Amino acid sequence: MNNNVIDQSKDITILELLDRVLNKGVILTGDLVISVADIDLVYLGVKLMLSSVETMEQLKSGKLINTK
Amino acid sequence: MDKMIYSILSVKKDPEKLDTLLRSLKGIAGADLYAVSSDQISAVVSDINRPDLIANNSNAIDYAGVIETLARKFTLLPMRFGSVMDSIGSINNMLVKNYSEIQNNLQKVENKYEFGLKVFCDPEKLMSELSLESEATNETLQTSYSEMKTSVYREYVNEKLKEHKKEEILLSYVDSVIAELTEFLSQLNTLKKIKKMTSAKNIIDAVFLLKKEDKNELIQAVEDFQSKYPRLNFILTGPWPPYNFVDITIK
Repeated sequence: MNNNVIDQSKDITILELLDRVLNKGVILTGDLVISVADIDLVYLGVKLMLSSVETMEQLKSGKLINTK
Repeated sequence: MDKMIYSILSVKKDPEKLDTLLRSLKGIAGADLYAVSSDQISAVVSDINRPDLIANNSNAIDYAGVIETLARKFTLLPMRFGSVMDSIGSINNMLVKNYSEIQNNLQKVENKYEFGLKVFCDPEKLMSELSLESEATNETLQTSYSEMKTSVYREYVNEKLKEHKKEEILLSYVDSVIAELTEFLSQLNTLKKIKKMTSAKNIIDAVFLLKKEDKNELIQAVEDFQSKYPRLNFILTGPWPPYNFVDITIK
């Protein structure tokens, strides 16, 4: 299989994976609690459209996102 | 203890197969996985303490790994990371309440794979090359630039005009690639979502849902596209569970 076509790059695969796991999939309405690494707990509405990289950066910078 | 939901899947053919598979897997933080079922659908869950619900690479990969393994054996709807309910009873109620919508979505994605296709370019280089090609076939434009009297204002306007023209040429080029891609995908009866120019370098960002048996045809087509458009970089990823094609918000 041509590696130019089916890219095995770890970075791209992880970005694609994070985008799907955090941004896509079935949405369950309600609230949940997510913490990011050593950051304080952040309360998120589950409907929030998380953008994997941006969200991680926002959370790491301690910015609270309130979707209620 | 709360319950983390990984996916909802159809177990109409072989419910025992699911139990066997779940016994061989572990969820986030090494937790055991089990199924909460209602008739022919099951939610795959694990117990979790809310402080353990950390959105880091490791947990996201573990979470996706469970879904990926399940997707190899079952038709499923992947849940977004962080889907938590407080009890088995709540999950059961959720399955009952949303049963028909879940079944409709399961039917939509049955025996299908999701693929992602990103097309990258070097925007400056590509725009310059396309502009040169365009100018070679359009001497009128070249003449109109050269005939304009020189002044700071005219130079500024000319520069802006050239930039605008370059962008137009690039967009037209991207549209032509998308049109060709769309024509191919329509032959496979593929569901698709295509975004263009998501960044200067990422000119096409697309996801497809296609029948499993069409996988090799898609791969071959992307290889052909790559050969036809050597100035672009085509990156195909997949097969993925159908993250981008579940059209449901459950309550």
